[in-house]
Amino acid sequence: MLVPANLLPVLSTESSGRNSSNTIVSGVIELWRQGLWALALIVFTASVVIPVLKVLGLSWLLLNAHRGAPRNPRRLTKIYAALDFIGRWSMLDVFLASFLAGLVRFGEFSTVTPRSGIVAFGAAVVLTMLATKAFDPRVFWQPGEVPQY
Amino acid sequence: MRCGTVLAQRSRLGPDTALVFSITGLVLAPPAALLTFVSAGKLGAVRMSHLFTGVGSLWDGGMRSLAVLVLLCGGLVPFTLLGVLATACSRARLGFAIDRFGLLSRTVKVLEHWAIPEVQVLAVLVAFMKLGSVVNVTMGPGFWCYSAMAVSLLIAQHSFDFDLIAGCTRASSDPDSATRS
Repeated sequence: MLVPANLLPVLSTESSGRNSSNTIVSGVIELWRQGLWALALIVFTASVVIPVLKVLGLSWLLLNAHRGAPRNPRRLTKIYAALDFIGRWSMLDVFLASFLAGLVRFGEFSTVTPRSGIVAFGAAVVLTMLATKAFDPRVFWQPGEVPQY
Repeated sequence: MRCGTVLAQRSRLGPDTALVFSITGLVLAPPAALLTFVSAGKLGAVRMSHLFTGVGSLWDGGMRSLAVLVLLCGGLVPFTLLGVLATACSRARLGFAIDRFGLLSRTVKVLEHWAIPEVQVLAVLVAFMKLGSVVNVTMGPGFWCYSAMAVSLLIAQHSFDFDLIAGCTRASSDPDSATRS
């Protein structure tokens, strides 16, 4: 889901007869070009870095769980807790698209419309949140060990 | 603490903190949902937006699954979670028994994962900065109520501790236990 989310346009803007569509990355580049660097960094982190980090992190945790008896269960459990915490911030782009679609509706002057990329992105966020919730970090611990969060 | 290991830490705030902030959040929820969230103006035309205006736009645009997701994570789940937290804390305060693994506890565990109003607040602030150069944007009272509700929910969640309120219930139902401890 992250592939179509990053390839398809998430928002299209119609302003004074001009039409433009933005993907997640092109939206970040546009913010950067406008001089809104802090904003570009926030959106890039929430929409690109966190989802990718979450998928890679969960895959790594699953690999460790399948190998059995990892050497540092405490560190892996902390990584899981961090992934669980940061996951919710990926919803930023979904809320942003929803908010802009509701507010910027000035007919031919300016209108923002959400595109199919945002649906794929929302699905990716929900699926990664469900995957994190379904994962149980207790698999890293041996019977009799006390899990430390 | 068990065998020299810290298993869980109690909130430094008292057992009533969750009750106070969940009720505060519940009081702020109706104005957050009903009052103007943000207003935007361009070339004399002014458009008011409420908390669920974006949800309506997504629904009308055929993105119904996304509309439901935004409605749940940004509105219904946080409001319900505040209600459940207030109910659990009030029951404990009134001396009713609270089951650690009961319905209320399980509901809190499920809902807290999907209640993310603080992300919606950040999204509105990002949009505010982004739109600043294109249209005249003004924050409405609904946005401030929603932000305060989001902060109240975070504090209520952070200070909510089933063991602590279950302990309060036991102490109030058994007056001797306070003397013994």
